[in-house]
Amino acid sequence: MNALLDVSGVSAGYGPLRVLHDISFSINRGERVGLVGLNGHGKSTLFRTITGLVDWQNGSIMLNGVQIGGKRTHGPGRMTHRIARQGVALMPQGDAMFIGLTVRQHLDAGAFTRLAWSERHDRRERILEIFPPLRKLLNQPVGKLSGGERRMVTLGRGLMGDVKLYLVDEPSLGLAPKISRAVVDALIKVDLADGAMVIAEQNLQLLEGCVDRLIGMHGGEIKGAADALSLHSEIG
Amino acid sequence: MDMFTLMSGLQLTCIYGILAIGVSIIWSSLGMLNLAHGFTFAASGYGAWWAATTFSQSAWVVFGAGISTGALVGIGIYFIAFVYIYDKPNYPIRALIATMAINMVGVQTLMWLFGPRMKPLPKVFGSGVVKLGEIIMTYGQVGTIMCSVGVLGTLLTWLGLSRRGLEIRAVMQNPEGAALVGISLRTTALWVLALTGALAGLAAVLLSQTFFVHPYAGLQPLIKGLIVALLGGLGSVGGAMIGAVIIGFAEAFTASYLGGQYVLMVQFGMIIAILLVRPRGIAGLLDESREE
Amino acid sequence: MAKKKHSTNQQVGRRRWLPRFILSGNRTFHRRYIPFTRRTWFQGYAKANPRSLVREYKLDDKRPWFWIVGLLLALVVPMAVGTNLVYTAAITFALYSAINLMWMLVIGTAGIFSLATLAVVGVSAYLTAWLSIDFGITWPMMLILGPLIGLLVGVIIGLPALRIDGLYYALLTMGMIELCRVYAVSSKIFGAAQGGLYGADTFIPEAWQFQTSGLVLGYMAAFCLMLLMLGIYRVVNGQRLGLLLATARESEATAEAIGINYQFARFTVFLISSAGLGLIGGFYAAYYKGASPALLSIDMVMLLFAMIVIGGIGRAEGAVVGTAVVVFIDKIFIEYGPIRLVIIGLIMLAVTLFTRNGLLGIRSQFIEFRNKKKSERRAQRTEKGGEALTEEATEIVDKDQIYYRRFDKRLRENLKKLVTPGLIEEHRQKPLGQHSDALERVLNYFRRAGGENKYVLYEIKPGIEYKMVATTGIKGLLPRNVDDVVYTDKNVALHAVFLKRVQDLMES
Repeated sequence: MNALLDVSGVSAGYGPLRVLHDISFSINRGERVGLVGLNGHGKSTLFRTITGLVDWQNGSIMLNGVQIGGKRTHGPGRMTHRIARQGVALMPQGDAMFIGLTVRQHLDAGAFTRLAWSERHDRRERILEIFPPLRKLLNQPVGKLSGGERRMVTLGRGLMGDVKLYLVDEPSLGLAPKISRAVVDALIKVDLADGAMVIAEQNLQLLEGCVDRLIGMHGGEIKGAADALSLHSEIG
Repeated sequence: MDMFTLMSGLQLTCIYGILAIGVSIIWSSLGMLNLAHGFTFAASGYGAWWAATTFSQSAWVVFGAGISTGALVGIGIYFIAFVYIYDKPNYPIRALIATMAINMVGVQTLMWLFGPRMKPLPKVFGSGVVKLGEIIMTYGQVGTIMCSVGVLGTLLTWLGLSRRGLEIRAVMQNPEGAALVGISLRTTALWVLALTGALAGLAAVLLSQTFFVHPYAGLQPLIKGLIVALLGGLGSVGGAMIGAVIIGFAEAFTASYLGGQYVLMVQFGMIIAILLVRPRGIAGLLDESREE
Repeated sequence: MAKKKHSTNQQVGRRRWLPRFILSGNRTFHRRYIPFTRRTWFQGYAKANPRSLVREYKLDDKRPWFWIVGLLLALVVPMAVGTNLVYTAAITFALYSAINLMWMLVIGTAGIFSLATLAVVGVSAYLTAWLSIDFGITWPMMLILGPLIGLLVGVIIGLPALRIDGLYYALLTMGMIELCRVYAVSSKIFGAAQGGLYGADTFIPEAWQFQTSGLVLGYMAAFCLMLLMLGIYRVVNGQRLGLLLATARESEATAEAIGINYQFARFTVFLISSAGLGLIGGFYAAYYKGASPALLSIDMVMLLFAMIVIGGIGRAEGAVVGTAVVVFIDKIFIEYGPIRLVIIGLIMLAVTLFTRNGLLGIRSQFIEFRNKKKSERRAQRTEKGGEALTEEATEIVDKDQIYYRRFDKRLRENLKKLVTPGLIEEHRQKPLGQHSDALERVLNYFRRAGGENKYVLYEIKPGIEYKMVATTGIKGLLPRNVDDVVYTDKNVALHAVFLKRVQDLMES
């Protein structure tokens, strides 16, 4: 059985600074994986490498058997839209927002395939069920929303397309505990089907009971893995 | 206020509005100030003239040729001034200079190809007049106004409703975020430049009802279009339309009551006054999102 | 559009090569300064070379030499060729260079993207010419009034710049020039009918006008004008005003936080350049005996802009070199008519598309590119805890540390290969006593390690109870507890310490 995402020997960095050192791991279909580690140790960089937003990268990244990584020193971001169309949705730290657009337009923007676009009303309904507070905010410009609401909009936008791999970067960043709980609960409700989800999070407590396994990152290298059972016993 | 002034004011408003909206959209979605718009304008005029003299004088041919030439020039600008430098350092200045260079080269080429003598375009709307009681309007004026309103209305609706329009607006706000949802900056840029080029072509055909086609025909409309875009706030379509009304009517009134040579002075005085009060233009909120 | 998130300014690079001359004698600290300044001639300093211990004279900057050679060539070549055409071209070159130098002051130093430079020149030329024709002012008066008129125009054009944003202001200035031109073309006082004013006083004597000698004098005067503008540029850009504005160019917020009134500085620079442009306008009117609306046309602005773009915006060298290139092409291809504008436009396009900052910026662009590739290649070779990055290395005072780190890294790599389950089992069976070669090497490495974070055994009760602690390496600071396990068997305890040390080795 092929893994959904197969990362092998990937190094990446910005200029002369190497952040990721020979990373290898794989994500299987239907899995929810937590990526844990302290700030500044490469979790965000790993996500940005997968979506092609770093300065340079080496090594192979295979999505469903298709190579999306490789040696790259061109401008960051050139391949990103193509990678996104292959079904990788990155929900970045700080949310890449379209400040002047309304919530409804944001969600619609996420439906990038023709199928998704024609079904966008239904899909939007589904998202509103997952994130009920957005219903009354549909026509508000995103610039006026609070942090938690923006996070929900970004997640919702990511859920609109035909996404196979969700990369969620620090969903609880800057949010009050109750709201981050709600956000993570919403993430669990997402039906993965054939896809997978990787959640990068510093706060281990939040991931309890949500993820199937954990991968640890420290100093730009993968250090340790745990499956859900041992995680539970560690915390609980 | 006599009818003539009113009508020419409306006419100018429409034409400047079309150009200004094009400039505004290009600026906010691509970060490029397109100074080659003047060349697009002039070239479309020539395209329409060539089609009129080679094929037929019918309105459809003239309009079609003008708009297609404009779109083609826009695509050319995409390939020359955008594609190669959009992610390189110093991009905004370099794009400005590149479009300036295209303008220079293009206008001189037109001069060399067609000579400096002005060419007429057939009257696409006919030469009659319409009488509404006391008000006399030429077909040309009526046609211009209706055409502009129609086209602009369609365009803005399309921008608001279609996927491609949403993509353009998303790129206008945040190019990296747009890439993350699968929107390709390059494809969007191609569409934006082709569309705005077509708009300039339309404006050229409409304006040539009153003036002739010649290589420098694009200069004044470009400057006025830029002024209107500035006034409205670069990046704001609504602001551009308001600015077009102000500038168009200012020109009509000054020309009628003070004389043609004072038009530019009056317009500039107004612009400086407005910019001093609102340095980002009438509706320049969107400009904030472009600064990094 | 090139968003630089997470960007780093760290680059690997090479040292610049600077020319040195070996000196004789023993006078190390005698320096000759340019009068009234604290700057040595040609930026040279006499120092002792730290390696060879020989006294030498090192130039800190090669640029003054390029300037001297260039200016000498500019002076000598037209005289050598001697035809009227070359002199006219040379005069055009000198005048445009002067204008561009002032323009560079506005765009580069003050950071105001203004296209209205020709407006100042044109207005000043027109007014001085008109005053001379209608009121009989002599040419020295024209040269004095020119800067004053320029100053006035500068105030009018420059005030909006304080309040209006960069790009908006640029477009505004474009309109201002067009405004001036339309007025000049339609106004009777300024000779609309004749296509300009003619008949002003000039500094070229009657007998020499239209002769080669007149042209030579004109070129000498224009050359002096250019030198004057160069001097103004150097003084403004290199001294207080320019330095203040350099901060503002990087970040306006920082400049304001430091207390630099950059708006005032910008305005001052704008006024100085306007005065300079006014002088050029007066000179223009005095030399050509009048003024024409061509001076105010957008075509002329584009031409001058092409010059500074081709040379490189922001450097005085760029202004002059770009002017030379364009004037050269303009005059060489003069028989081809408007095609030469096409050629100039195409060159401008090529320079903009391929270089970051004009022709003169090519060298630094190439160097940056090479450094970027080098740093990426170097980064791909870096390993954790191995080779020190240059940035770290410069901070380390004792350079032996860097070599030690390298050695240590290699040693650890080798030791990792030696650690096998068999080795661990061997130690478990016999912690003390004769060991195999591999185990001995590993143990020696551990024993050699420094006192910081070294796992050792603490005898709670000698011979009976042991505990593992880690020393801190700092005198007076007690070791810290590692875990709560109490060992009763010394061999087991020793093996536990060994395992901990091996674990640390494998993870490093």
